[in-house]
Amino acid sequence: MTIDIEGTFVSQKINKIRWIPEEYVETKHFFTGSWDDDENSVKVWTFESVHEDENVENPRELSEYKVAGDVTEIKLIDKNKIAVSLSNGEVRLLEISAYERTSPLREVYTWSKLHHINSERCSCTALDTFEGDIVTVGEDEKVNILNGRRGDITRSISDTDSCSIHSVCFLKLNEVITGNLRGHMKIWDIKRDSNKPVASFHFPGEEVAATCIVQHPTQPHIILAGSECGSLAVWDLRMNKFPTSQLSAHSSGVTEMQFHPENPNKLITCSLSGDVWDWNMESLTKKSGDSYVPLDDKATMNVSSLIPTLHKAVNTIHCNKGRVLCAADNEAIYLIKNLKY
Amino acid sequence: MNFTRCSDANPNSHTIYSKKRVKQFNLPHKCFERNVACVWRRGNKIAIFPGSQTTIKTIENCDNKILDIRQEISLFTPILRKLVNEANGAFLSLQKASDMSKSSDNQVEYLKLSRQYRSIVRVCLENLQEATEKASDGLERNSLQSFTTIFYSIECIWHLCEILYIDVIPGEIVLPYILEWARFHFPCHEQTAASILEACEKGSEDNPEYWNTIIGMVVQGRIDVARALLKLHSSSDSSEFKLLDNSMRAMPVYNVYGGISSGEFTISWKHWHAECRSKYTSGSLARQPQLELILRIMIGDYTAFETIRIKYTSWFDMLGGWILFTMPWAKRRELASAAAACAGLTPGEKTHLDIIIQALLEGDLHQVIHEIQQVSDNGWSATHLTDMLYHCGKLQILDKQIDVTAKIRDSLILEYGTLLMEHKSLWSAGLSYLAATPPEGLKRAELLLERIPIDSEAKAMRILAEANKYGLPNVVQTVCGCMSTRRLKSGNSGAALAWGGRTRSTELCARAAEQALRRYCAGAPLPHAELLLTGSTVLLSKYCDFHILYKNREFRKAAKLLVSLITSKLSPDFFWETLLLDTLPLLETETPVLSADETYEIMLCLELHSCALTGKKADMLRFALARNLERTALLNLPDED
Repeated sequence: MTIDIEGTFVSQKINKIRWIPEEYVETKHFFTGSWDDDENSVKVWTFESVHEDENVENPRELSEYKVAGDVTEIKLIDKNKIAVSLSNGEVRLLEISAYERTSPLREVYTWSKLHHINSERCSCTALDTFEGDIVTVGEDEKVNILNGRRGDITRSISDTDSCSIHSVCFLKLNEVITGNLRGHMKIWDIKRDSNKPVASFHFPGEEVAATCIVQHPTQPHIILAGSECGSLAVWDLRMNKFPTSQLSAHSSGVTEMQFHPENPNKLITCSLSGDVWDWNMESLTKKSGDSYVPLDDKATMNVSSLIPTLHKAVNTIHCNKGRVLCAADNEAIYLIKNLKY
Repeated sequence: MNFTRCSDANPNSHTIYSKKRVKQFNLPHKCFERNVACVWRRGNKIAIFPGSQTTIKTIENCDNKILDIRQEISLFTPILRKLVNEANGAFLSLQKASDMSKSSDNQVEYLKLSRQYRSIVRVCLENLQEATEKASDGLERNSLQSFTTIFYSIECIWHLCEILYIDVIPGEIVLPYILEWARFHFPCHEQTAASILEACEKGSEDNPEYWNTIIGMVVQGRIDVARALLKLHSSSDSSEFKLLDNSMRAMPVYNVYGGISSGEFTISWKHWHAECRSKYTSGSLARQPQLELILRIMIGDYTAFETIRIKYTSWFDMLGGWILFTMPWAKRRELASAAAACAGLTPGEKTHLDIIIQALLEGDLHQVIHEIQQVSDNGWSATHLTDMLYHCGKLQILDKQIDVTAKIRDSLILEYGTLLMEHKSLWSAGLSYLAATPPEGLKRAELLLERIPIDSEAKAMRILAEANKYGLPNVVQTVCGCMSTRRLKSGNSGAALAWGGRTRSTELCARAAEQALRRYCAGAPLPHAELLLTGSTVLLSKYCDFHILYKNREFRKAAKLLVSLITSKLSPDFFWETLLLDTLPLLETETPVLSADETYEIMLCLELHSCALTGKKADMLRFALARNLERTALLNLPDED
C-alpha cells in the first residue's frame, strides 16, 4: 500500500500531538496541544470515517482543556495520563477516562510556578517521563524531578547552567540528559546530592540550541540530538565528548524526533522547514562503538520524505505502527497512513 | 487589556452618515466628554484617551480611562481561520509556480490552483453551513449567515472569473461553461425537476412549480430535461406540445469537436431560429400561453425574458439562456452586449455582485477589483483573485497611461499580509504574504516583526528562524538584544551573554560580561568558562583563564596573565580592587613568581587607582609588593614559555 496523507485544518497552531495508546484495537484517539494563540488548549480528538468510506477519516474534537500559556510538551505517563508542560512555568498531570473518551480531562496534579526567574514566571520548555517520574527543564536553568504518583517535587537542581535549557531526556532511572540554548549537553545524576553534572559535552561547530534529544530504544548508550540549525548529532555515551557522527540534515531547525516503537532502525524527524523525514538508521547502530564514521552525506543514511514539503514549520510528530500524526504551524494536522515499518 | 465592545451608539446618526461611509460611536465614559486624543497602536488598533490633562495627584481619584479600539476582523473567527491558512498554502504554491514558469506557459498549473482556491471556498461554505445549523445564539447565527452569503458570492465570482480568464477553452466558445456556471450556482430548478421526474406522474402540471421549473431548465440550456418534463403534462399528446417538442429537439448544439465549422453551425442555427420565429408568428401556440412563452424565450425575445425576470433573484441567472438563444457562438470577449442586455432587465439599484459580474463580462477588471475590495471579507478575495489574475497575465490596469498592475497587486497583498501580522497566531502566514512582495513587503515585515510581543524563548527563536529565512538581520539584532537585556535585567548574565553572542554583538556581550564581573565582586560564582568560547569579552574570558591557571597551580603563567590584565587597563573601575587583591597570594608564594619589573607595574597601578583600593587592604598590598621587590630585585625570573 502506498503512503496516504490526510490533512485537516483545526484553527490552532498545534505544538504537540500524541496518540492515546490502545491495547487491542487500532489507535484512533489523540491529544493535541496548541501554542502561540490568544487562547491555548489541550484537546482530545478521534478519527471518524465519513460516509462509511473506510479510507477517509476525519478528526473530530471530543473535549477541550483550556490552559494559560503555550503547550510546550505532552508526554504519556501511562495509558491514560499525560504530563503537560506550559510556557507559564506550570506542569500539569491530566487524566483521560479510559472508557468515556468524550468526558473532559481530569486534572490529577498541578505544579504551578515550577519555573521562574526571580519572581517572574518563565517557560517550562520541555519534560520527559520515566516510570511515573517526570523531569522538567525551563528557561530558568533549573532541572526539576517530579513524582507523578505522589505529586511532589523530589529534587530540584538549580543554577545548573548558564543559560536556558531547551531539551531533556531520561537516560535511566537516575540519569537525565539536558541540552541548552548554546548546544551544551549535560548528564545529571538525580540521586546524587550535587549541583554538578556527571558529564558534559557540546554540539560541534557553531553555537546552536539543542532542540530535542532522544535515546536509542535498544542501544541505550546511543543518544541523538537535533539542533536549531537542522543538524543531527549522535553520541555514544561510552565515549562521549565528541559525537560519533554529525549530519547536516534539515535546512532549518529540527523540532522533534521519534524512533519508531516497533522498529528501532527507523527514525522519524520533523523540522521548521516543513519536512517530515523517515530515516533508516541501520548503518549507524550496527557500527562498533569506537569507530568514528563521519556521515556527512545523508544519502548514506537512506532518508526519505514522508510528506510533500509544507509551507510552514512542522512542530511535532508521533507514530503508532503504520500511522504517523504530524502538526504544523499552518494550523493543520496530518495523518500519514500505511507507513512501512 | 480590556476591549470594550462599542455598539452603534445612535442608529439615526448611522443612517445620516452611511452615505459617506462614516460610522459614529459614542465613547462610553464621562472622562471622554471634553477632550479626546488618540494614537495608533500596533496594527489595526487605536487608543483613545482624554486629552488636555490637568495634573492629577494620586492614581486613586483619577477616573480617566484609556480605550483600546480595534476593528473586528471576521477572518480571525475560527471557521474562517481554516480558510486563511489553507489559502495561504495555495498562495505560496502559486508564487512558486509562477517563479518556475517565468519562461514557459503554465496555464494548466494556474487552472489547477484556481480550482484549489474554489475548493477552499467550498469547504469553508460547508463548514459555515454546518456551524449555522448548530448555532444556538441568534447573533452568532446571523453573522454566520452573512459570512455564508459573502462567500457564496465570492465563489460565484471566482468561478466566472476562472471561465473568462484562467481556463483553457477550446475555440474560445464560452457558452457551455457559462451554462455550467449558471447550473452550479442556481441549482433550485434542477432539484425540483429531479423530484418531478422521479415521481414520473402524468399530470405533473398540478405541481405549482411545474412551469417555472420547465422555463428554468430551458433558460439553463437543459433542453432534454425540459422535454422530459413536458411529456409529463396531461395533454402532452396534443399538437401544440408536439410542435414545441419538435422545435426543441431540432435545436442545433455547437460542439468544437463535432466536426462542423462554426460558420456551418451558424447557418443551421439561424435556419432553426427562423423556423421557430415563423411558428411563433403563425400563432399556432396561442392557445397555450406557457408553451408560447417557452417558444418566445427560444427565439430570444427580449420581452419574454422581461416577463420571467421577476422569478429570478438576479439577472445573471438568465445570462446563459440569453446567450444560448441569441448568440451561441459567442467568444469570451464578446459577452459585453449580452451582459448589458440581461442587466437591463433589472430595474432599480444594482448590488455589488451585479456590478462585479457585469464588469467581469465586459472585461473591465479594474472595476472588478475595485468592487471586490468593498466585499467585507477583509480583503481575502480581492488579494487572492488579483494575484491569480496577475500571474495568469490577464490583468492590465492603466492609470494615466502607466501600467500599475503590479502596484495594485502588491498593495493588496501588503494590506492583507499586514492585517494577518496583527494576529497572535497568524503572524507567520502574514509574513509569507509580505515576503512575496519585495522590497516593500520585507521592509514592513521588519517593522512588524520587531513589534511582535515575545513571551517565551521558543517564540523568540521562531521569530529568529523566520527572520533568517527572509534575510532580515535587523530583526535578529533586535530580538537578540531584547532577550539579552531581559536576561540581564533578571540578573542572569550567562543567558544574557548567550543571546548577545548569537548576534555577535560586541555591546551586548560587553554589557553582559560587565554584569558578570560585578556579580562576581558581589560574591556570585563566575559563569561557566565554556560560555566564553566565542564571546568578545576579553577581560572576563582572560580572567576566567587566570582562575583556571591558578587552580592548576601554574603560578608563573597565572601571574603573567594577571599582570597583563592589569597593565592592559581593560578593567572597569569597579573591578580594580579584585584584580589588585588577586596579586596578593602570588606575591606571597614560596618561590617568587612576579619579577621586579612586574612588581613595579603593579605598584604603579595601585597608586594610579588609589581610590579603588584604600585603607588596610592597600597597606597590606603595598607591604607585600615591597617584600617581593626585595627578593626579586636582583633575580632574573626564567620565562617558562
